[in-house]
Amino acid sequence: MNISADNAIVRLEDVHLSFGQTEVLKGIDLTVNRGDAVSIIGPSGSGKSTILRCINALVQPQSGRITVNRTRVDQLTRESERIALRKRVGIVFQQYNLFPHLTVLDNIVLAPTRILGTDRREAEKLARELLEKVRLAEKANAYPGQLSGGQQQRVAIARALAMKPELVLFDEVTSALDPETVGEVLWVIRDLIRDGMTSILVTHEMRFAEEISDTVVFTENGRIIDQGSPEQIFHSADNPRVRQFVSGLSGRGPVRDGEGI
Amino acid sequence: MQDINLTDLFVSLTGRLGLNYEFLATGYEAQIWRDGFITTLYLIALLIPVSLVAGLLFAACLTSGRVWLSTPVRAFVEITRNTPTLVQLMFSFLVLNTFVSDLVGGAQNNPLSPFFWVVAVVGLHIAALHAEAIRAGIEAVPASTVEAARGVGFSQLQILQYVQVPLAFRASLPAIVNNLINLVKLTTVGNAIAVSEITYASIMVWTQRDNVVSMMIVILAFFSLINLVVARIGLWVERRLAVPGYGL
Ligand SMILES: Nc1ncnc2c1ncn2[C@@H]1O[C@H](COP(=O)(O)OP(=O)(O)O)[C@@H](O)[C@H]1O
Ligand SMILES: [Mg+2]
Repeated sequence: MNISADNAIVRLEDVHLSFGQTEVLKGIDLTVNRGDAVSIIGPSGSGKSTILRCINALVQPQSGRITVNRTRVDQLTRESERIALRKRVGIVFQQYNLFPHLTVLDNIVLAPTRILGTDRREAEKLARELLEKVRLAEKANAYPGQLSGGQQQRVAIARALAMKPELVLFDEVTSALDPETVGEVLWVIRDLIRDGMTSILVTHEMRFAEEISDTVVFTENGRIIDQGSPEQIFHSADNPRVRQFVSGLSGRGPVRDGEGI
Repeated sequence: MQDINLTDLFVSLTGRLGLNYEFLATGYEAQIWRDGFITTLYLIALLIPVSLVAGLLFAACLTSGRVWLSTPVRAFVEITRNTPTLVQLMFSFLVLNTFVSDLVGGAQNNPLSPFFWVVAVVGLHIAALHAEAIRAGIEAVPASTVEAARGVGFSQLQILQYVQVPLAFRASLPAIVNNLINLVKLTTVGNAIAVSEITYASIMVWTQRDNVVSMMIVILAFFSLINLVVARIGLWVERRLAVPGYGL
């Protein structure tokens, strides 16, 4: 094992979080190493999105430690400190959530110019490079409403990358897409991971998770009940719940077709 | 002079139609009347930006999620919306203005003119209506869009500035234009506290000359024209801000 303390970029230790009376995270321990891709899988409502939101300080846990590259996220008290963290941690959501009144280019340029103070020319240059990377160079002047879901999601990824984040969180970024556009988004993410971007992905695309992950984490009911290499989780899990879940959702196989009836 | 000849020509031509604009040939009444137009235009030119800026601030307070900001503004908006502007103006001028006079040691030291009170009362009244329209627009921006902006690293104020207000403004533009048309008409309440806008000036003239119909025709044409322009500009802005593929 090459996991050393210095190599960890994200570390969650015994994180507990409740919304009102509902306990959503019941002691989460998770370590993500620099340059790794970690997939979080598990049933709906098990707390996957909440884990990502904690890492980005969009929600605050009641107890536990969260460290992102030496920043103690759980101890941030001021909004300005949380903003400083969010500049370093990109997040992409299921619903893309582009700014509908801005062109694709302006969607990408807005944050670097207004938050980082990058000058417009430089920000535009980077934006065009990123659009090239997500294969949307010709859509720079289109508005989000004129793009397909898959195209919008790729713009959303470019928007996150424009902040030059240290790590990117992907929350079910293909779940709202038409099946034929899922592939183009996964392709972009695969490229990013190959380039060494540290990524945490919540996903239901099991084959993709198996292909690109260094570690797969299985959550259920606010706990991580198993984690390991893709091989371990998808093919030799000890935990019967994990085995049941991955066989039930393992993509376009016969098991799922049977269940779907 | 050419000018005077034209005036005489106008007076005699309209006179044949049974209208009475003889006062135009006098110095004093014509001056009051001309100043009336200018005062009304001046009021409108001031009130439109005042109402928009105050409306935006009110809407920001209403949606801030901070009780100490939203509660007083909510109370103000409710009172303003539900009571007659004329009464608000009387109250402001007779009560608040007198209070200010007492505070500064007499009316002669009070810098606040009737003109000021018209701008303040009508401006804030229309601002309250703008605020409701903009608030509804801000609340219609999906929570997920706001969270995405937070996730990128925008502050709450930046989200308001770059995301919520631009979207809310588009959604509320038709309502805002309506409010501005009302604002133009509402400037006439000024005559209740002797601000010599166009209706006040016209009343001055017609009490002397008994030419109500002639004066009314001009007032109606004047306000119709201004509001035609306001509506046109509103439409133009709406078209300019329209976003392709976005259903607002
Ligand atoms: N803002 C919130 N307020 C109250 N409950 C919430 C909130 N966000 C999430 N939850 C609840 O927390 C649980 C976990 O949600 P989530 O992290 O979104 O799960 P997942 O992403 O695994 O589907 C769910 O039961 C959900 O209803
Ligand atoms: Mg989720």
